[in-house]
Amino acid sequence: MENKMVFGKWEAITLLMNMISTKIVLNFQRKVAEDAGTAGWILTIYISVLALLGFMVIEKLYAEFEGKDLLDIGEYIGGTVGRVMIGSVIFIFLVYIVTVVLREFSENLKIVTLTVSPISFVSLFFLAGMIVGAYLGLEALVRLHAIAIPVLTVTFLFISFAISQYFNISRIMPIFGTGLRNIFVGGFTKVSIFAELLILFLIVPYIRTHKNFKTVGYTSLFIAGFSLTMSSLIFLLVFPYPAAIEGFLPMYQLSRLINYGRFFQRVESVFVFTWGIVALLYLSAGFYFIVFTFKKTFNLTYYQPLIIPFAILIYTMSFLPPNLDSTVILETKYFRNTAWLVTFVMPIVILLIAKTIKKRKKEVKHSNG
Amino acid sequence: MVRKKVLRKVSTIVILCMLSGLSAGCYDRREIDDLAYVIAIGLDKGKSNVLKMTLQFAVPTAIGNGQEGGGSNGEKSSIVTTVETPTIYSGLNMVNNYISKQVDLSHAKVIIFSKELAQEGIHQYIHAIMRGREFRPNMFILVARDSAEEYIKNVKPSLEINPAKYYEMNLEAFKYTGFTGNTQLINFYLQQECTCSQAVATLAAVNRYKTTGDFTVKHSTAGNKSRSYPLEGDFKAGHIPRVGEVHSEIMGLAVFDGGTMVGELDGEETTYYLMQTGQYHYSYITLPDPIVKDKFVVLNVTQNRKPAHRVRMEDGSPKIHANIRLDADILSIQSGKNYEYAGNVHILEKAAEDFIEKGMLQFLERTTTELNADVCAFGKDMKGQFLTWKEWQEFKWLERYKDATFEIDVDLKIRRPGLIIRSKPAYSTKGEEMY
Repeated sequence: MENKMVFGKWEAITLLMNMISTKIVLNFQRKVAEDAGTAGWILTIYISVLALLGFMVIEKLYAEFEGKDLLDIGEYIGGTVGRVMIGSVIFIFLVYIVTVVLREFSENLKIVTLTVSPISFVSLFFLAGMIVGAYLGLEALVRLHAIAIPVLTVTFLFISFAISQYFNISRIMPIFGTGLRNIFVGGFTKVSIFAELLILFLIVPYIRTHKNFKTVGYTSLFIAGFSLTMSSLIFLLVFPYPAAIEGFLPMYQLSRLINYGRFFQRVESVFVFTWGIVALLYLSAGFYFIVFTFKKTFNLTYYQPLIIPFAILIYTMSFLPPNLDSTVILETKYFRNTAWLVTFVMPIVILLIAKTIKKRKKEVKHSNG
Repeated sequence: MVRKKVLRKVSTIVILCMLSGLSAGCYDRREIDDLAYVIAIGLDKGKSNVLKMTLQFAVPTAIGNGQEGGGSNGEKSSIVTTVETPTIYSGLNMVNNYISKQVDLSHAKVIIFSKELAQEGIHQYIHAIMRGREFRPNMFILVARDSAEEYIKNVKPSLEINPAKYYEMNLEAFKYTGFTGNTQLINFYLQQECTCSQAVATLAAVNRYKTTGDFTVKHSTAGNKSRSYPLEGDFKAGHIPRVGEVHSEIMGLAVFDGGTMVGELDGEETTYYLMQTGQYHYSYITLPDPIVKDKFVVLNVTQNRKPAHRVRMEDGSPKIHANIRLDADILSIQSGKNYEYAGNVHILEKAAEDFIEKGMLQFLERTTTELNADVCAFGKDMKGQFLTWKEWQEFKWLERYKDATFEIDVDLKIRRPGLIIRSKPAYSTKGEEMY
């Protein structure tokens, strides 16, 4: 019944764009500056190219499995055991990142605007959105993305243009920052920035054809890569290294600088509003895929009964890190250095195995026939 | 089916109740009327504690009444309070303890450090301010040559009812005077944190002259420039020969090495600083007449193009070449010489170029020999010659800057003569008179 629901390429692209680019409003620009210094933007281009190459390999392998998500392929390889194993990995992966991002967004909101409110209260705002989003289902979520993402893109473009009075090309010099080795060898694992591409391998049945899969993958990766590169470049053109790694919430810091005369300033209030929407979209979509993955992994009929228990679980787990810095470390140090194994390596391995099995089955069928 | 419908209705009601609860207000609700808006913060060295913090608050009721010098009941448009405190934030806590409203810094326009404090170092305070959410990055950083408290107490604008607007307009006046700079907090912070430049702050002070009879050139910087009389830029804040209602004034820049103040620039040097950093808009510049002694020519000079810098190393020392392109309109020729005439205009252009080049060179040499601070950020041009951050750091630009030598090339073109295109004499019983 549910698998009959389909949505267009645009909806899928906006969903992935938001899932991958959300880190623009978090700590992405500061993190690449920390890794590559003044060459943070070159590092972003490099990992974007790596992500495109990784997707190219996956997409070629996926050609034979049109309309199947990773769990279906897992089942094809190893039956229920295969599906449960792959489903569990994806489930843990999603629970980890959604939990951490929920805490990060809540903490950031507390720093920026709701300074007196308890963190548990601030998180409730996002949690309410996550629960409602999950109840409404994937179709509502992707349609909301399709409407909201263009508006959010315009807002961020506006901030980027408005801040241009502070640009100074000398701030991205020396051009290779902390060095080529740091960028191209040390930066390899940073391709995990594109970890949310994994969502694409879960929505394959909804976008039907392999052609759509290719278009959605390449387009969303290209747009997300471009947005991430531009955001890191803009940040580094305004904040010189090493001051760039000192400030928290780069996009917020940039929006605070916009100041055209006495009447046009304090634009960050618009930014906070936009930022809240981005957070809600990310968290509600992420949360939906958690319950969806769990349901499909264990072959349950409905996912709705899982929503409240999982919401309580994620809400509670989000308070496990003792402070904001520990939360940021959980994301940037651990997740963003290892998630590529799940997003890129795991699908390639699964698809290679599935392809071999399919080939053998064909050969057996051929020899029998 | 019926059970599902009931469940859906119940869920909708529960969600709506939750959302209405959230939207009805929160812990952070603060009424505009319940806040006391700080417009200026002054920091001096304390006597009984580390800091003496002075806060100037806007009085919205007096500003709203629109009466000159205060409200209809003689209310002042701002009030001032001073506390001694170990840190900025603990001081705010103390002030919150005795004023009726909660202190809000989101409308603060300036933060003023006393010279004494600045000379000890203000990096720790800048960091604390940058960390604070309420401080705006576009508030101005000032250094009071005497006391920050005294300066704030003397800010009594007579043309503005709103003191916040006074600060905004007064501190933006560098765009048409060239005597102060764009020393917003964000600029100060970025210059200070950069490995290629040093920071500057606007110099402020309370004018000491009570009557015109007290005027003296003793405190002018004209003597350092071998001038027998001061030009308009040969002063620093506090010593401008003037009397009037407003006693507070700004003129010149405080120069920092890291977070520590190491010297001062007068008005003229500040103009050259603005030209070198491409922040100069336009201002009147007075120069001696190239032909007639003791007469002046006044030009309205504009900088329409960014300066071009070329930095290279020669025998281990930085060699800096700067090309400054300026346009000018003639405002006054006291001698009556026909410099407007196309055949003579080059005389005035050459004189203006030489005048500015000489002054600029003196200023830049002061930054190396006396101040040892790359305030014009020539390091930015040097940085591009390195490939990696490690190489750049090992080069230690800020240490090498003291050995820098300069070649200045000013290219000034006079474009318009104003509303007089040929200077003609006045006639008296003694014949022709030009002056």
